[in-house]
Parts: sequence; structure tokens; C-alpha cells
Amino acid sequence: MKLRRQLTSNYSASPWKVLITHLICGLGLSSAFWITHNLYNINLISEPTQTLQMIWVIGSPLVIIVYSNFRMNPEHNSYWKALAQGILGLIAGAVVNALGAIALGAPVGTKYIMRTLHWSLMMSTFTFTPAACVFGSSWSDWLRIFAHTKSSGSVDYMLCLPAHGAIIGAWFGAWPMPLDWERTWQEWPICVTYGAMAGYFVGMLASFIVTTIVGGEQHVKGE
Amino acid sequence: MAGIRDKMNQKSSTMGSVQSRSIFCFFFLILILHLSAILLFTRGFLLTRTELPYYSNCSDVSQFPCLPLHINKSSSSSKTPNRTNQEEVVPHNVNRNPGCWTRPAVDRLVIIVLDALRFDFVAPSTFFEEKKPWMDKLRVLQKLASEEGLSARIFKAIADPPTTSLQRLKGLTTGGLPTFIDVGNSFGAPAIVEDNLIYQLAQNGKRVVMMGDDTWFQLFPQHFNKSYPYPSFNVKDLDTVDDGCIKHLFPSLYEDDWDVLVAHFLGVDHAGHIFGVNSIPMIEKLEQYNAMLEKVVEVLQSQSQPGGLHENTLLLVMGDHGQTLNGDHGGGGAEEIETAIFAMSLKEPPSSFSAGYESSSCHLDLDGKTMCISTIQQLDFAATVSALIGVPFPFGSIGRVSPYLYSLVGGTWDLESSHRSTGQDQSDMEEWMKNYANVLCINSWQIKRYVDLYSASSVIGFSNEDLLRVRDMYAKASENWMHVGSRNASLPDLEKQIHLYSSFMASIAELARSKWTEFNLTLMGVGFAVMMVSLFVHFFSIWRLEKLSGVYFGSHDNSGISVGFICACSMIFIRACSLLSNSYILEEGKVACFLAATLGVINLRYSLMKRKMLQEAVVFVLLIFIIRLSIELGLSKEAGGSIVMDLFPSWMTRDNDMASLVVHMVELLPILALLVLAMLLYKAIIRSACHWILKCLTSSTMTCYLLIALYWGQESKLFSIPYFLKGKNSYIIPRIVYAVGFAQVLSLFTIFKLLGEKKTQKWEEKVVALLSALSSTIIILSGKQGTLVALVSIVGGWCIMRCQSLLSDSRLSTSPIVQWNLLAVCLFFCTGHWCAFDGLRYGAAFTGFDEFILTRQAILLTIETFGFSHILPIFGLPFLIVNKKLSSPDKQRKGSFFIQLSQAYLINGLITATTVTITILCVSIHRRHLMVWGLFAPKFVFEVAGLVLTDVLTCFALFYYRSSS
Repeated sequence: MKLRRQLTSNYSASPWKVLITHLICGLGLSSAFWITHNLYNINLISEPTQTLQMIWVIGSPLVIIVYSNFRMNPEHNSYWKALAQGILGLIAGAVVNALGAIALGAPVGTKYIMRTLHWSLMMSTFTFTPAACVFGSSWSDWLRIFAHTKSSGSVDYMLCLPAHGAIIGAWFGAWPMPLDWERTWQEWPICVTYGAMAGYFVGMLASFIVTTIVGGEQHVKGE
Repeated sequence: MAGIRDKMNQKSSTMGSVQSRSIFCFFFLILILHLSAILLFTRGFLLTRTELPYYSNCSDVSQFPCLPLHINKSSSSSKTPNRTNQEEVVPHNVNRNPGCWTRPAVDRLVIIVLDALRFDFVAPSTFFEEKKPWMDKLRVLQKLASEEGLSARIFKAIADPPTTSLQRLKGLTTGGLPTFIDVGNSFGAPAIVEDNLIYQLAQNGKRVVMMGDDTWFQLFPQHFNKSYPYPSFNVKDLDTVDDGCIKHLFPSLYEDDWDVLVAHFLGVDHAGHIFGVNSIPMIEKLEQYNAMLEKVVEVLQSQSQPGGLHENTLLLVMGDHGQTLNGDHGGGGAEEIETAIFAMSLKEPPSSFSAGYESSSCHLDLDGKTMCISTIQQLDFAATVSALIGVPFPFGSIGRVSPYLYSLVGGTWDLESSHRSTGQDQSDMEEWMKNYANVLCINSWQIKRYVDLYSASSVIGFSNEDLLRVRDMYAKASENWMHVGSRNASLPDLEKQIHLYSSFMASIAELARSKWTEFNLTLMGVGFAVMMVSLFVHFFSIWRLEKLSGVYFGSHDNSGISVGFICACSMIFIRACSLLSNSYILEEGKVACFLAATLGVINLRYSLMKRKMLQEAVVFVLLIFIIRLSIELGLSKEAGGSIVMDLFPSWMTRDNDMASLVVHMVELLPILALLVLAMLLYKAIIRSACHWILKCLTSSTMTCYLLIALYWGQESKLFSIPYFLKGKNSYIIPRIVYAVGFAQVLSLFTIFKLLGEKKTQKWEEKVVALLSALSSTIIILSGKQGTLVALVSIVGGWCIMRCQSLLSDSRLSTSPIVQWNLLAVCLFFCTGHWCAFDGLRYGAAFTGFDEFILTRQAILLTIETFGFSHILPIFGLPFLIVNKKLSSPDKQRKGSFFIQLSQAYLINGLITATTVTITILCVSIHRRHLMVWGLFAPKFVFEVAGLVLTDVLTCFALFYYRSSS
């Protein structure tokens, strides 16, 4: 137990750090929207492919840079290694997300290939990339976060809650798709993206709140 | 400890028989509750329109508030005989019947009905955004319609749903709105007892000749002078009906022993059902029709000189309904309700009247001439034809005499004799308008009479305020008529009068459309309440069994509800609630796949957590993915066939080896899959150490598989087969398969009763034996996709079974059963079905048979429809209790198996019952919805049929498995 405490203490984060991390990611997301809207005059509904591309192109470097600071065992792992792990995680996560989406009913076809590609890269930015930066190839930690959902520290919350939020949000976001309202935003992957981002923001908020509460308690206990 | 065990043993042995009896009681109670709930609700929901036993009569003329029609002739107006002796009517010498309600405008009528005629088959392609291969094939109609100096026009006709042939024929001839319940009668086609056009024709001495679709003959068994009916239900047969029609049509056109000729062609409908609209057989059919129509017009025109046989003949070429691009119809979609009417009067019009009351769309046609197409309602057909030919309007008709058709034929009127002196267009117009206003006056009077009598004689008729409103409209119109009709009215006056009558009739039609179905809300409510009670009984029985199983497994400490349980329950809840929206019902297959995939992903997560069964969980997700793809692809029916059809021409022309290879691969794949199935079965038999009778029974299925492979090989001409199996004799194979399957099931059910006394059988062997016995029949009915689906369902079932061990509980858990159920729903859609009557694969019912026998074909169709989604999953459900480690004595084992099995069946039944309950709620809420007959009601019927089937099969399954361990 003592050993564990020591290990985790290395990569724990104070609530303020969590807040700043989330703020950076959130600001990255909003700036991507701002840029597409104001500089390119497009939005998610009119040009989903380009907008999604812009989101992950701006979002993923930010996420990788920020989360690499929380890497496990900073003594052994260099910052650059964490960056490389993040980039690998981005690609691998995109594959997993794309497969998941297709299994759940995302349309396949030449028209949708690019959309699915960019969407899965964006989802990967939300879900697996941060974890890849932090954990690298530590399978047990991955399992702990994504299969058991057992979090043992503020960084765990920071990784786990937004990722789950994004996935659950995307799942709910798919609901309006079959409705016969005949709106453009019902097309794949527009409403799913909205759902995912909403879930992501809720997850970030929740992780901040949880780290504030739990972190405070731990702090008290530690004292 | 031993004492307790002893006591438990004793308890269980005494409980054994009592228990199983009480469990059976539960299932029977649930079955009865479901049946009564469904019966009550259906009585309230699917009520028919009350058919009134009244008939229009020539003598009604005396009650008309309208102008007397032909004063000099009215005395000679035929006294209509009493309708009780209608066989004696039809006098053959009355050729020039003066008509009694309206003056006849045409003497003879040729009606050519082309079944499932899409509007874009007839209208020039310039009316549509892009030209499709099937457009502009009926060029002769377009040419005639655009030619100057001919009174020929194309109309867009709007049919009322349900757009099935029987309903449409009934609607066309009665002028009413047939209701949903008639859809169910479509197989039996009962005679129409209501007043109708054909009855009126026969009653008034018009001789009717019919040829083609035998539905007409079934609807009007004794009204035709001559009839040449051909069987209509063999969908695979594109030519018999059409060839028969053509054979009799042309000789008849030279005869003078008829007044009305009806020829109903079915080829386009059948081509659509089998191949879809964009296919070569469809285009060939249309070209054939074009040639046929060209010849018909030629014959008619050659005899249209004054004094000729067709001097005053009207030709109507019409569709009874449209079809979608897949060749389906039945619902209320635009493609299904839009059909066409082409009308051509053989008499040269002296002047043409444009009755442009409603806007019509005009475009240039292919030759650069302007062509206008107006829209008319099929509802108006009966009244219009009655008015044109001069017979009383059918009593229950609520249609209005169409100004377009009436003005088109207006030229054939005896205008010159009555008003030659004026000679001006203006006065012609005035005269015509007056005439039309008078016809509308009669028309309104007839509709008013019907509405009054209808509200008086049916319990829940139209609402009072609606009745008051339309009565008021009618009073206004007739008051105006008093002023207009008496004197020589001016054009604006007549126009106003026509408008008043038209709006009265339009509001009647609207009223009728919105309120026609009389829902009995009390019965519906009672039915729903009984359904809720049945749900409570379900819950109660599950709870009881839970307690009983507690006796065997000891008390459960972990009564806490797991995440998987919550997920499974919420999936069922979501699926049930999604049925409340029409969009989700349309996409139900995808929704089911989405939910099943979600459960699969959750399973995957579990397997990652437990670090086992990873492979199975991944395979399951992949499987759902495959099913999803096949649902999307398989929405075009007979997928394999159409792929081959598409490839065929390119292969023929280019002689490409690759293409032929692909064709052969597509043909070969199902046969290979069949061999894989046979191999799996062989392995299962070899491994098990069961009774030799059982082995024999199971291995006979393998013979069936080989026979099916032979049958398909012969069908696709992959390899030559013995001579005696060719042609008609090829039907022997399916029949053998059915017979063997039936014998297997029968003997399985009886043999265990004999063997079962001595020793109880292993349940695995029983399940395999029963499933294999059923599978051969289901596979041959499902066609070539059947084998692949069978493989998919085996793999799916195996995955669910294996993944179940992830849930450590020794008890039965809900989540695998939910997955099982969702997989079954996916398979239903995967096999090319959907919840509409056009989603039934009628062609499958004729595997091995040519002629139509209601019971036999209905049974085959049921097996085909519910085979993979209900029959196999229910009998295969015991697989879900496989991996339970039961470390208890033999007797106890047996009892516990039965209890667990009953529990599994109860949960499975509960899932189905929940869905049905929500569907019932949904149709009650949406009973006034636009799509209630097109979408919700068929969905309701499918769900209810599924529930009853589930209950009955569950009882059989429990009976079958009762003595196993």
C-alpha cells in the first residue's frame, strides 16, 4: 500500500492542475471551432469532414503536449517518449474507435470513409490519446481505467471520466439519427460528434469536481 | 449439514411433479392472458367500416332535388328488377340503355388495369428530375396524350392506402375507403357484398367481360357475363396472367356482346416483387405492354367510325396502385399511392373544354409538345365511371365525379342534337357546366344520403359537429342550386355552384379519411389492461421460480443488481420505447443491431476485465457487424438473385471469365455453407453418446442438407442432375425435405415419451436433434441466404453461450437471454423481412408447390417468416443454461434444470411481452396518425403474431424438454 501511494504520488495532480489541463483542452476545442467558423466559413453541419479534421489537428497536439506532463515514472520515461506514445495512441485509438463505430452502425461507403476517419481521430483525441501519453504500454493500467473503471488518483479521474463521457455522449448522440426530421445534422457523424463533445465536457467538469473533493480528502488524510 | 441436504432432497422429490405441473399452469395462464388481451384489443382496434346493406336504384331519381335529366326519355327508363333475383337480370338486348341517373356519355368501356403501375412508367420522363431506365417505355400512351385533336389524356391517380390489389379493387368499384382488416382477407379474397360499380352495371343491363387477375372473379363471383380468370398468387410466374389476357382481349375487341371489358394484367406487379423496378424483366414487361396497348388502340380506332363497333367507346388504362423501387406496395408512401390513369375517348370531340379547376403540372414531353397532367383521386373512380356510363352511383361511394374525366368525355355527349343552334363555344361551355353541375347535384345528394344513413345505422359514426358542418354545407349548396338550376344561369353562377358542391364532397372525403376507422376505446383499454395483468403474472412467476431455485442453490447473498443486468434491462426498455416513433419502427433492424452491438461491447469490456473469453466477445461484435451489413444490403429482396441479375448481362456481352467466376462463386457459396453445416452436425453426432434412434433422426437432416444442395445446384444450373428431377419433378426435393422434417419433429416428440420413462436424456442431444430437424425446412424456405444465416446464428448462439461464463453467478442471468433475444430480432431483419405485409416473402411459400392452397401456403410462410427469429431461438434457448456447474444429486439436477429452463423461458417471454405491450400502447396513441395503417398496424400485427408464436412454442419446448437433465 505504501509502495502504491509512493508510485501514484508521482503522477497525481492537484485540482488546479486538473482545471488548467481541462481548460487548455477545452480552449483548444473551442478555438478549432472558432477558426473553422471565422477563417474558413464552414461549420460541422456544412462541412463535417474539414471541421472534424480541424478539431483533431488542433486538439491532439495540445492533448499530447499537456498530458505528457503527467506521464508515469517521469524518471524513467522521457517527455519525448511520452509524446511518441501519444502519437501512437492517437492512431491506434482511431482504429479502435472506427471499428467500434462501424460495429454499432456507422455507415460504410466511399462517401463516409473520410468522415469516419476524421471522426475516429477526434474521438481518439478525447479518449485514448491522453491515456497513451500517461500510461504508455502499461496494459494493467489501461485495463484498470477502461475495463474495471477503478480510479486511484486524480490523474486517473482526469483520464477516465472525460473519455467515458465522450463515448457515452457519442452513444446517446446517435439516437436522433434514424428520426425522419430530414435535417442535415442528423447525418453521420454530426450529431454523434455533438454528443461526444457534450459528454467530453461533462466528463471534464465531473473529473474536476471529483478531484477537488477526493484530492482534498486525500490531502487531509496525507496530513 | 447432511440432514439439511437430506431434507432438501426429500422436499425436491415430493415437489417434482407438483412443481412442473404448476409451472405449466403458469405458462398456460400467460398464454391465455396474452390471447385474450390481443383478442380484445384487436376487436377494438382493427374494426372494419360498417358495410351498409343498401343499394342505389334507378327509382331513386324521383327523390333528386336536381334537374330532371331527359324528360322525353324518362318514361322508358328501365324499371330495375328486385335485387334478390339478380341472376335473371342481365338482359342481352339492351344495348342502348338510356341511363337513369345521368345520361350516358359513353356506350362501351374498355378498362385495362396494369397492376402496380408506377406513375413514372406512364408520364414522360421530362416530368422527373432524371431519366431512369424504366421510364418512357409506354410511349404509345404519351404519344396519344400529346397528339392534337384526340381526347386522350394522362392523369396522375392517387390511391388510398392500404395499397394492396384487393383493397384497391374494392375501393375502385365501391367508391369507398376499404379498411385495414381487409388486408388480412387478401389471401381469401371474399366477394364484395356492398353496393359497387360492377353490381350496378350488371343490374342495369350492362354486360361485363373480365379477363386476367382472378381477384376480380373472387370479388364479383356472379356479376360477369364472361370471365377468363387466371391465378394471381404465384408471384414467380410473370407471364401466365398476361398471356391469358392478351389471348382473350383481342378477339373480344371485335365482339359486340359486351358493354364493359375489364382486363387486369399482373406482370409488372410480379416482376417488381421478384426483380424490383430497375430490372430487365420489368423493362421487358413494359415493352410488351406498350406493344399490346398500341395494338388495342389500333383495333379500337379502326372501328371508331360512325356506326362502328367502337364509335362511342372509352378506353381507360390504369394502375390499381404504385410500387416502390423494390417492387413493394401496401403502405402509404408516395411511390406506392401514385399511379396513373390514361383515358381516351374514341369519339372526336367537337370542342374541348378545359376544366381547369385545380392546377395541373405541365411540361414539354419528349417530342417537344406541352403536356399537362392533372391529379385525380382513385376514390372518384366509381362515381365518375357510373356517371359516364349512366348507371346509378354505388350506394357507399363517397367520390366525386371528376371534372377532368367528365370533360374529356364531354365531347362524346349528344351536344349537337340538343344545342346545335347556339353553336358558340361560350354556350357549349355553359351547357356543359350546367350538365356537370347537375351531375354534381346528383352526386352530392347520393353522398349526403349515404352519410345520413351511415351515421344513423352505425354506433360510432361521424361526430356531431362534423355532421352538422357538412349538412350545413350541403344545405347551402342546394339552396344555391334552387336559384341557379331553375333559370338559365350564367357561367360565374355555375362555377360557384360547382365549387359549392365540390367543397362539400371534398370535406366529406376528408372526414371519411380521418374518421373511418371506428376504434372501440373501451375494448382497447380492456385489452391493454389484460396485457398489463399478464406482465404482472410474468413478474410474479419469475419471482416464484427465483424462490424455488433458491431451494436448490441455497440463498443468494448477492442480490445486488449487477451492471450487466441494468444494461440488459435498459436495452430492452430502449428498444421497447423506440417503437413509439415511426422512424424507429422503420429502422428497427438497425436499432436492434445497435443495441445488440452495445451489449457486445459491454461483454467485451467484461471479458477484458476477467481476462477470458476475449475471442468469443470479439467474434460476437464482428458478427453483429456482419448482420448489420446484411440488413443494409438485404433490404433489396432476394439479394443473391438480383446481384446475379445485374452481373448477367455484362458477363454475356463481354464474355468475361472473372464475371462468370463471381457468378459461380455467388451460386456456390450457399452450397458450401450447407456442407459446412452438415459437417458440424456430423461432428456433433459423432461426439455424443446418445441413443441410436436419436442418431438416426439427426443424421437424416444431413441427407436433407445434401438434397437442398442438389436442389439449388439444379436451380442455378451449376451441375447437371438426373433427368427425372428436372422440370416439374424438381418440386419433389422440397417436398421430401418438408416431409422428413415433419416426421423428425413428430418422432422426436413421441420417442422421448417412450424412452423417457426408462432414463432421462441428455438435454444437449435433444436440443441438437430438434434444431437440426427444424433447420432443414427453414433453410430451404429461406432460400440461399438461409444457410449463411444459419451459420451466423450458430456462431452467435455459441458466442452468447460462452460469454455467459463471464457472469460468475451460478444463477441464471438476464443479460445473455436479452442478447439472445436481440440477436433473434436482428436475424429477422437480416433474412430480408421487415414488419410490413410487403415484407413477407410470398415467393418462399411456393418453394416446392405451384398452386395456392391457403392453409399450406400460410404455414410455409409463417415458418419462413418466423423461422430464424422465433422458432430456432426458442427451441435453442436451453443452450443458455449450459455452463452451470450443478454439483447436486441426479434427481435434484433434473428438477433444477427444469426450473432454470422455465425461468429462462419466462424471461424470454417477458421481453417479448414488454415489446408487445409498448406496441399496443403505441398504436393506441398513434391511432389517428397518418401512417397508422401503413406502418403501426402492420408492426402491431407482426409483434402480436410473434408473441402468440413465442407463447405456443414455449409450451411445446417445455413439454419437450421436461424430462431432460
